[in-house]
Amino acid sequence: MEPLDLTKQPERMLDLKPEWANICFSCGTCASGCPVSGMDSWDPRKVIRALVLGLEQEVVDAQWPWICTMCGRCQYACPQGVEFVSLIRYLRSHRERDKVPGTLHKGVMAALKTGNNFSIPKDDFIFVMEDVAEEFAEEEGLPDFKIPLDKKGANILCTLHGKLPYGQTDDMKFWWKIFYAAGEDWTLPTENWEGVNWALYTGDDEAMKTMVGRIVENMEKLEAKNLLFPE
Amino acid sequence: MATRLGLQKWFPDALKKFGVYTVFDLLVKYIKEGRIKIDKSRHPQLATYHDPCNYGRKSEMMFGHGYYEEPRWIMDQCTENWVDLYPNRGYQFCCGSGGGIWLTPYNKERIGHGGKKIEQIKAAGAKLLVVPCHTCYDQFNKSLKVEYNMEDLEVKYLWALVADSIVL
Repeated sequence: MEPLDLTKQPERMLDLKPEWANICFSCGTCASGCPVSGMDSWDPRKVIRALVLGLEQEVVDAQWPWICTMCGRCQYACPQGVEFVSLIRYLRSHRERDKVPGTLHKGVMAALKTGNNFSIPKDDFIFVMEDVAEEFAEEEGLPDFKIPLDKKGANILCTLHGKLPYGQTDDMKFWWKIFYAAGEDWTLPTENWEGVNWALYTGDDEAMKTMVGRIVENMEKLEAKNLLFPE
Repeated sequence: MATRLGLQKWFPDALKKFGVYTVFDLLVKYIKEGRIKIDKSRHPQLATYHDPCNYGRKSEMMFGHGYYEEPRWIMDQCTENWVDLYPNRGYQFCCGSGGGIWLTPYNKERIGHGGKKIEQIKAAGAKLLVVPCHTCYDQFNKSLKVEYNMEDLEVKYLWALVADSIVL
């Protein structure tokens, strides 16, 4: 690497807000409280210093912004109010989409195309729901339990974490039991039911907005009074 | 968290047309209104509670309210025998699996990060770990328990703790 010439303003690739870099006075509180400081030889303070010095591409190319879990411990402790979580998301948004690690971006694409992160077709979804509901009714001895799919005018509309219908179906039964016991009037849409938005993590605002918009459409279409977040 | 953030940012008018519940608000409501009855004796083992980043610290920073006390109140309703981890609430440690890392190849880093959390849980001596987040749940139950020889630790969703305590 060439030595940096600090007499010139570095060329800027990113549009860095002051609260993402310039207000930092490099005290290192962030790095000392960060559980992944030092991994991949980066830490929160080093990210900020690198950006200030103009090493923007180096930070975007590093693994560290994806090793960071965006837990916000650095930001919570920062005496200067550096907005680290939104900075990491912004840095991730500058990764070329085919270089986003793992299956994160593939999941976002699947959600845009099929309405859920695991591309479960509507018919399969309905089959799984009704099958697991029957099993649940039998196990709990509640013969009157029915899964309220696409019910209009319900008090509560639920979205689902995609992993549940995909492979952890038993984990859906807890909320069903709570709703049954509470006598709740609830529903589950059979399209665009995905409650997890990986675009939050890939920095993809357009995809994130599309997926949230579909939940709003479901609320309107099914005339539901309240939305329950999946966590 | 993404849905809540997206609604506020892009669909503020929708939030005037319908209400929203977090799982915490709804569970507290059901218990307070007496709509579900809880048997406190079903979870006698020493339990502890993990604050997920998204619903604690990050909710506090983004939405002005961290869900710290609601889950603790729910714990109080469901068990006589639980302790907090240290540090907790705004200064808790992440489970190590946030930010989508579960779906990336950075397993060594994810497990290493989670080791910090495991130290806390071991120090508390808990036999039952209660979590209100799907990602944290999988990180503990499918990965960290195995990696750190904690096979005896029972991991439960907060809503599973409630569901399994219900008297029908």
